[in-house]
Amino acid sequence: MKLTVNGQQHEVDVEDDMPLLWVLRDELGYTGTKYGCGIAQCGACTVHLDGEAVRSCQVPAAYADGAEIVTIEGLGTPDAPHPVQQAWIETQVAQCGYCQSGQIMQAAWLLETNSAPTDEEIDRVMSGNLCRCGTYPRIRAAVKAAAQKMQEA
Amino acid sequence: MSRAGKIARRTFLIGSAAIAGGVAFGVYMVSRDPENPLSRDLGSDEVTFNPWVRITPEKITLITPHADIGQGVVHAQAALIAEEMDLDLGQFETSFGPPSPAYWNTAMAVEGAPFRSDDDGLVAEATRSFLGGVFKILGFQGTGGSSSIPDSYVKLREAGATARETLKAAASAEHGIPAADLTTKSGHVILPDGTAIPYTALADRAATIEPVTGVPLRDPSQWRLIGQSMPRIDMVAKSTGTQTFGIDLTIDGMVYAAPRVNPNRGPLNGYDDIEARAMRGVKDIVPVTNGIAVIADNTWRAQQAADAVTVDWGTGPYPPEQEDHWKEVAASFTEDRLDREWRNDGDVEATAAAQPIMAEYRAGYAAHQPLEPINAIIRVTDDAVEVWSAHQFPRFVQQIVGGVTGHDAEQVIFYNQFGGGSFGHRLEFENLKLAAEIANQMRGTPVKLTFSREEDFAHDFPRQIGMARGKGTVLNGRIESMDIQIATTSAARSQFSRLGLSMPGPDGQIVSGVWNAPYMLPNYRVRAYAVPELAPVSSWRSVGAVTAAFFGESFLDELIHAAGADPLEERLRLADTPRAAAVLEAVGEMSGWGRDPGENRGLGVALVESFGTMTAEAIEVENTERGIRILNVWAAAEVGTVIDPVNFENHVQGGVVWGLGHAMNCEITYSGGVAQQTNFHAHEGMRLYQCPNIEVRGIELSDRVHGIGEPPVPPAAPALANAIYAATGQRIREMPMHHHIDFA
Amino acid sequence: MRRTLIALALTVPATLALAAETQLDDTLLPEGSVSEQDGLAAWDRIHEVLSHPRCSNCHVGEDNIPLWTATASGQARDHGMNIHGGDSRIGAEYLPCSSCHLTTDLPNSIPHAPPHAGLDWQLAPLEFQWTGKTSAEICAQLADPDRNGGRDLEGLVEHITHDVSENGFIAWGFAPGAGREPAPYDVQSHLDDFKAWGAAGMPCAPG
Repeated sequence: MKLTVNGQQHEVDVEDDMPLLWVLRDELGYTGTKYGCGIAQCGACTVHLDGEAVRSCQVPAAYADGAEIVTIEGLGTPDAPHPVQQAWIETQVAQCGYCQSGQIMQAAWLLETNSAPTDEEIDRVMSGNLCRCGTYPRIRAAVKAAAQKMQEA
Repeated sequence: MSRAGKIARRTFLIGSAAIAGGVAFGVYMVSRDPENPLSRDLGSDEVTFNPWVRITPEKITLITPHADIGQGVVHAQAALIAEEMDLDLGQFETSFGPPSPAYWNTAMAVEGAPFRSDDDGLVAEATRSFLGGVFKILGFQGTGGSSSIPDSYVKLREAGATARETLKAAASAEHGIPAADLTTKSGHVILPDGTAIPYTALADRAATIEPVTGVPLRDPSQWRLIGQSMPRIDMVAKSTGTQTFGIDLTIDGMVYAAPRVNPNRGPLNGYDDIEARAMRGVKDIVPVTNGIAVIADNTWRAQQAADAVTVDWGTGPYPPEQEDHWKEVAASFTEDRLDREWRNDGDVEATAAAQPIMAEYRAGYAAHQPLEPINAIIRVTDDAVEVWSAHQFPRFVQQIVGGVTGHDAEQVIFYNQFGGGSFGHRLEFENLKLAAEIANQMRGTPVKLTFSREEDFAHDFPRQIGMARGKGTVLNGRIESMDIQIATTSAARSQFSRLGLSMPGPDGQIVSGVWNAPYMLPNYRVRAYAVPELAPVSSWRSVGAVTAAFFGESFLDELIHAAGADPLEERLRLADTPRAAAVLEAVGEMSGWGRDPGENRGLGVALVESFGTMTAEAIEVENTERGIRILNVWAAAEVGTVIDPVNFENHVQGGVVWGLGHAMNCEITYSGGVAQQTNFHAHEGMRLYQCPNIEVRGIELSDRVHGIGEPPVPPAAPALANAIYAATGQRIREMPMHHHIDFA
Repeated sequence: MRRTLIALALTVPATLALAAETQLDDTLLPEGSVSEQDGLAAWDRIHEVLSHPRCSNCHVGEDNIPLWTATASGQARDHGMNIHGGDSRIGAEYLPCSSCHLTTDLPNSIPHAPPHAGLDWQLAPLEFQWTGKTSAEICAQLADPDRNGGRDLEGLVEHITHDVSENGFIAWGFAPGAGREPAPYDVQSHLDDFKAWGAAGMPCAPG
């Protein structure tokens, strides 16, 4: 099957039901997308699939056939971070950092669809992403900082 | 003193004969520094001044031996060195370095000594000094007990100062200018004419010079980095998906393994893997202790095949049903299980008040479950074992892995990795033992073992289980007496037993935060009871204090209310140290204590000293239609010196979230010997929408610096229970609290 | 072990349900051919199905918050993670259901993973709220075309058969997979109960 990841085309030969998460991590080497639970409880594996934020552990490979995928590596880079990543860096959100790829992908989708989310909207969109270190206060602040950045840009 | 001495000596004797020899020559061994591991493979144009600094013509590497499991300690260690070395952030690389006795932890034993942290009496100091020496002889390299900063604070600045002065000496020799006329700035030695020589250009010359030692440390007023908010050096990588964790690594020729091990910790009686072997990508299925592991060409395929093996599990070593665990705990308040009477001020038996107030508390098991599941890559050859994983005890990794594969510890090369959280999980060795067993059956091939979340839950060693019985009296609006008995299983004993060691003497963690509560109560008794091991348990962020302080600070609150006193005012009146008073006053001021919070709202407070840090937290909750909503938390911690205010704040907030989230809704229960909670759906912790506003204040009073990794955790649960009582009149005496009340 | 056995046992019926769907007998019974008593008995069985968490968890009221039964207690409570369906009832305003609940015919085989179906996961329209309502209230609601999507008996029966043909939520409720407790009875008997209840004149017991 074919899929496009961060603008690059890939052809993979995998089972229909292999989760996209493992296609990305083990078949294609996009390890920025994390395995945390395998059952959509933690959100660490969040990627954009045809513009929607989805838990890649729940996306069967067959479903992703022909899709455009963006992972954390494709959102921005250390040299040219996406405004959400920039806000995450400036707010110093991360502790262990393991959940942050998923948090950032979810937040980037949120701000693409809602440029000035309210506190309630942030709470409703970002609560599917689990952070065991407890960086939630900074996640909230970073989402707002990113919204500001994107509006100014 | 005698107790500590006994612990140490016995530990050595059990640990190794060679180390026992060290005790006999204690003074000599303690005064001699271990070899600098960086000097082993140094080129002629490269220099190392001490185990923390290495300079080559190309780059400067700072060794940050403490494991980074999210607490930002790679940055903090590097900043301490860079402060004195006059390096800017970004001018150096960091490395965890090889496991080495040179990285012995000077502080873990100190904070673990059974004295209140502000006790600087002769016995306390002598014991700390002795235990410090013990850890040095052991070469005990460890990250834990909130000791990384206390361990690093002086010695890493000294390492930086030595490097700086030696580089100046090298420049002095090269240019014939007295070292006193040289200065340093931003990674350069500056000559009087303004010429700036990069440190890297001085490496080969510096290598010929004896390091300059005994350099006085700079006065804090001169600090450029410490005490300031610094951009943490791992932030960019952790925000762009470019930080690799152990689970992300690939090694050429690597295969993927998934474990399936008896979840009740009994044996594997038999299994049928015919179907699993036929599955796509499966290379082999091998036996491991109490289970099997599937080797495949991809993690998911290995996991799928592991699930497809039919297994016959034997029964495990502890009572299969949770109810029986509780029965054993409840039966432990007996003389023969008395671990120690830790405090007995006044006489709790001779009180004037007629009517005692009595209450029983309990706290269940809880899992660590950092978000990165445990994993390891191991390659075994006849001569060496290479290990890639994140771990807090690097030298034990060498011993344990070598023990499995039949190699000497020195033959085990350990590459420590950034850990995706730990909370105590990466003090254990299950992933390493299993990966070593597998890799040893396929020598030459690197094996990457990844636990599924379900396997991780099943094999996690949870937090101790425990109960407390409180009895107290109040008289004339004040607490007259408080007598508390706490019975828990022992994380320390359980951990020691897995290392083949036994821990003699009482376990102070059972009553941590309660025996040393900074209160001058007229009659106060604290007794610890050791529940025999049930499910094996382990250190869980803040260890004993998380359960003990929930019991102690909640029951104290009950007595304060019974006396008709104000929870904050009464604690302040009872506080017997300036540190305790300072943090209480801080949260009082921050929370506007004394105001009317309004209908259905209430404030609670708790004060706990753990790991040397004094922490007070005040919490405001609202009882809503959908349950209790936590609105605000105000936290103040006295740590001596705050290294980085932003990282400090982040850490306290994280500790509060950890403490509250688990107190609300997390427990592990057993049925059939198997943990019933298999994933985050049943062990949720706090989610973003539940996260209150958390305001943090660092207070700097003590001369000694204290850690902040764990101390914000213990006050969170009792402050929450106390706030719920204030808002609702309902006293919650169990963790997790959701058995008794809903949370919105 | 438990996990494997469950996976094996339950993925199979899920696929069989798919195969069986075309063979549903949707022939209506002649009006009046079923007694009121039998009609009421049929309704009681229907209500058992509708009030089962597999079915009622997504037929929630105007707070638009789905229920779930994911935790150890087995009690239905607000869906975790602060999930809110919004007025769109598909989470479009916040986190869409489809972030986790994919639309796919693949079997539901992973315990505690978000269930999926062949239709886009969503809350039922608000006028079909079942939570917090008595059997009589739901009965009256279903019998009233103004409150059941404009359906007569044939429409209701067609609603079920169409859902099943799409491998939708009703089909899923009877074969939820992954160790979840299915709704009682099965699709065909549920359909038969509807037919009987309809033929008896859609009787609802008072109160």
